[in-house]
Amino acid sequence: MTDDARRRPRPGVGVAADHGESLALDQAFDGDSLYALRAAVAAHGSQAGLSEGRTRDLVLAVHELAANAVRHGAGQGRLRLWAARDAVRCEVTDGGATGKADGAGAEPGEVARWRAEPGHGLWLVRRIADGASVKSGPSGTVAAVIFRRVRS
Amino acid sequence: MAVGADAQITDLRADGHACLTFGEPDELFDLTAAFVRDGLACGLKVVWVSDSAPQRATAELARRGIAVESALAAGQLTTEECEGGLLSGQEFDAGRAMNWLISQMAAGRREGFPGLRVAVDMSWALRPVTGVEQLPDFEEGVAAALSGAAVSVLCQYDREGFDPVTLATVSAFHTLSVAAATYHADAVLRICRQYAPPGIRLAGEIDYQHAEQLALALTEAIRLDGDITVNMTALTFIDGSCARMILNAARGLDASRTVVLHCRPGIAATFGLLGADHMAGVSLVVMHDR
Repeated sequence: MTDDARRRPRPGVGVAADHGESLALDQAFDGDSLYALRAAVAAHGSQAGLSEGRTRDLVLAVHELAANAVRHGAGQGRLRLWAARDAVRCEVTDGGATGKADGAGAEPGEVARWRAEPGHGLWLVRRIADGASVKSGPSGTVAAVIFRRVRS
Repeated sequence: MAVGADAQITDLRADGHACLTFGEPDELFDLTAAFVRDGLACGLKVVWVSDSAPQRATAELARRGIAVESALAAGQLTTEECEGGLLSGQEFDAGRAMNWLISQMAAGRREGFPGLRVAVDMSWALRPVTGVEQLPDFEEGVAAALSGAAVSVLCQYDREGFDPVTLATVSAFHTLSVAAATYHADAVLRICRQYAPPGIRLAGEIDYQHAEQLALALTEAIRLDGDITVNMTALTFIDGSCARMILNAARGLDASRTVVLHCRPGIAATFGLLGADHMAGVSLVVMHDR
């Protein structure tokens, strides 16, 4: 990735895995455990070297994605957080197929229910993350964000 | 909406012996400021026996919009420490404490005030003070002394500090109990009314799961006149939906009213993302370390 791309947040792209990253946190959540999820993400963001302000943004972004999974998705989900040399990457999956016998999971239309209008969850996430993407597939909705350690 | 209390601080009458319970210093200062503000507005003399140093006590009142300087200068307001009045050499004697109260009542009458309001922070009784077992005698004596006098006494008890048996014993001598109206309280979040300046206070972490309680607190605060303060200085997390709800409430107000958001930099950043710093009718006040 070029320096230029690194400096400019480009919503929707740039959440690919970096080499040398390691899984630091793998936590299931539901509506009752969002508080614990935020505390764990804050600890890992800070541990991974994000500034206080960026750690706070990371916590808000993960919370909004997780809250979306609880409220508009399967009611629960899983967060994985990878720490790399220069970034923290998080993936929130909403557990996918709920009550569907064929296991087809979220329809492509699912993403539309993740409110992206100004001021709402996904809109906020795109404002604060260095990269964000949401994809729906057979295994559910996968939302990913990346927060870079150095950001001009 | 008040939980476990008969009355709001703003509903106190000219006479009476009220037992106020509070959970944290901010709540004590807020409720006391409302008690002082309303007493001064009625032309009464107001005495606050604080557990803090008098300078701190007056600063806390001033911070909440009380015209402390002029009231002190006019002799309408005094702040005292426990030592020298209620206590002598860290020793409590119910008879001596009653004499102190009676002398305050006499002084107020002599100075021509139509009535007197006395607030007493009882936190001294949590320290090793000789004679503390006479506290119920004192509370009983106060109840008798106030009968027929234009004097109200507000005894302030830290509900975390005092054991339930002591609280139950002393509360029986009071004519009513007062506490901040509380919309939600658990280990993570507290939502309550703020009285001076009027508004609401949020402490801990809030997200969409408590939006309903937040909406109720905002609705009740908005019913009052004037500006509304949302005190979030003890709030460490707010999600987008709750921040939006607060800003939407501000948008819905009459153009003459302002919603003042008091918060730490982290919370201010979330409101900033939603455009709060450029919004008409919203004033964002960022508090750094106290």
